[in-house]
Amino acid sequence: MTSWVRLTLPAAVVASVSPSYAVQYLTIDAAQKLAFPAANRFVENGGLTWKAQAADKLLGLFVVDHVIGKHLYIDYAVALDPSGRVMRVEILQYRESYGGEVREPGWLAQFVGKTSSSPLKLGSDIRNISGATLSSLHVTEGVKRILATYGSRTR
Amino acid sequence: MSCHRRCVLTSTPSLSSTGWRLAALMTATALSAGLAHAQEVGNARDKSNAAPSGDVALLRKLEQMEQRIRILEGQLKQKDNREIARAHGQAPASPIPPKDAEDPGEPKQAKDQKRATGAAKPDWATPASRDLTGKTAPVNPPNSIIGLTDSPVTGMSIGAYGEMKFGLQQNPAAGGQWQNGFDAHRLVLLPTYLITPNIIFNAEIEFEHGGSGFDPDDKLHGTAEIEQIWIDFKMMDQFNWRAPGIDLIPIGYINEHHEPTAFYSVQRPELYNGLIPSTWKAPATSVYGRLAEGLYYTIQASSSLEDFGGDFATRTDAKTVPTGGYAAGIDGANALGFALPVRGDFQQLSNDIAVAGQLSYSPPVLPGFNGSVSAYYTPNTTPRGAYAGDAGMPLGRSSLTMFDAEFRYRVPNTGFEARGEYVFVSLGNPANLRANNDSDPTNNVGKTMYGYSGELAYHLPLGNILSSDWEMVPFYRYTFQNTQTGGFAGTDLNMPTGAGQTQFHNVGVAVFPSPQIVLKATWQKVINRDPAGANSDSVLGGVGFFF
Repeated sequence: MTSWVRLTLPAAVVASVSPSYAVQYLTIDAAQKLAFPAANRFVENGGLTWKAQAADKLLGLFVVDHVIGKHLYIDYAVALDPSGRVMRVEILQYRESYGGEVREPGWLAQFVGKTSSSPLKLGSDIRNISGATLSSLHVTEGVKRILATYGSRTR
Repeated sequence: MSCHRRCVLTSTPSLSSTGWRLAALMTATALSAGLAHAQEVGNARDKSNAAPSGDVALLRKLEQMEQRIRILEGQLKQKDNREIARAHGQAPASPIPPKDAEDPGEPKQAKDQKRATGAAKPDWATPASRDLTGKTAPVNPPNSIIGLTDSPVTGMSIGAYGEMKFGLQQNPAAGGQWQNGFDAHRLVLLPTYLITPNIIFNAEIEFEHGGSGFDPDDKLHGTAEIEQIWIDFKMMDQFNWRAPGIDLIPIGYINEHHEPTAFYSVQRPELYNGLIPSTWKAPATSVYGRLAEGLYYTIQASSSLEDFGGDFATRTDAKTVPTGGYAAGIDGANALGFALPVRGDFQQLSNDIAVAGQLSYSPPVLPGFNGSVSAYYTPNTTPRGAYAGDAGMPLGRSSLTMFDAEFRYRVPNTGFEARGEYVFVSLGNPANLRANNDSDPTNNVGKTMYGYSGELAYHLPLGNILSSDWEMVPFYRYTFQNTQTGGFAGTDLNMPTGAGQTQFHNVGVAVFPSPQIVLKATWQKVINRDPAGANSDSVLGGVGFFF
């Protein structure tokens, strides 16, 4: 095989086999199902929020929001249980070249269990990400804002 | 009834909102035209005889049409409102007021986003405009997340960072005299543009030391330069391509994260002055991606470092070093500080291409810990036409290998932070380096150069001042570097002064009024083995920003 084919073939194979998830990691549908696997319907609740329901039981609230990373928007989703606690935070779209570490499950897991009375301060109850300071700060602020808005309303 | 214009009164649900508007307008026009006509007819008929049954029927029909139009207009308005609400992320009015609608602790940027859209209303009641400071604007995308248009961004966003420094410094060239001064060290503009959802443009345009000018009364001797310019092709998590451009060499942490908010001393950490010649940028292309949770890689090819540190204008048209002697790019005084590759006008002095690789890791088992290992290799740093002395024997090839390992650990739930770093440079063939062949016996280099540093810092919240949360970070850093080790070979006499082994003590504090602004003060003590002393202590203040 000529050298250039040998060099580019692995990249070509990888590129052709895997889907392009570079920017959009999750659609809203996929994120809803991840957050509420038991739900059989998602009822629009105004703005970009959905009530997750199974039969007549309210399972929680699913909220989609966006914040700025460094320059470009990060689209993310927060799932709240009926008492207003965070069940899950997912990054739906991350556009920038740096700071993507906010997508790491270990970092997002810190938000699980937070309520509208949690401090949600970067550097105290939420770890900063070295090299992704602005993205982690803005996502933390965004979750805090969502808890302030909806944390008491899912009852 | 006769219509002067076409009446479109269908209840087709597939008609677009514009269509509805048009229909409503046309029927209203038709109606008024019809009414006017009916009026005329009515008047004409009134003149002749009493209102016949035809007119009553006509009027009743007109009333029914009016009512129908009002209903349609109402429906159209509701539909419009729902669409606006969806596009703007607005929740409809709710009887339950939210808590903490306006959190005074939020940094200014988030507050400005809110303010841009409406004064003191709670978040959910204020339509969040998509066009915040021109950063993005909605455009029809193929894969839109409902209500959130994802691409492309029609506006370019421009960020900036910069640092200013001032204070007292010992001047070694003046026998260690304490002199005070000021330096507008950097202003860097960061244009970012989402060309498509998967292709991102990024650049850094830098003005150093107040910029550059020609006339003596400008009093400028700085730089205007392109520090970075590249286009990223984002393909998948594990593999992305950065097209050839000017990019940072992926060695260590501070070279790539060199904004003033990323380090606590006024000056950049000492290992990044010479051993790692930050800001180390080069013509480069790379691939990068995420291999596993917390594990990221970069592999890069770039223009090689060059062992020529003389005046740029003296390069010959044949792209060789000038005759009659020239300055070294790699030496015992400046390490690699004068060896940066050329970025413009095809003026590189060799064909050599270097490779670099980096693995950075934030292990999930140790939250708060971030570390990286990186390496750089160039097969040759000797430029075309290199020679010893003023017109001596030619100098051959010499490779260069660099290795770096560093970590930053922020202990969770505490204010403690620790950083550590080790850098090692191996010079392939010191006999072929200009510094060992330039008739200067004091700037020679050996077979290797190395350095290490350790830093301790503590994050202290200062509370809410001027509408943001302030933080103070006192720190201490110790650095040792050795740029003149054993293994010298070359035509020079070898008489290093001991200035090649240097210790740096830095004590200071960095105050962050917000994560994007930093006010710094640092005292630095420099000790080396030169009998004349290092004479380079300083007490400096700094102001830095990054947004």
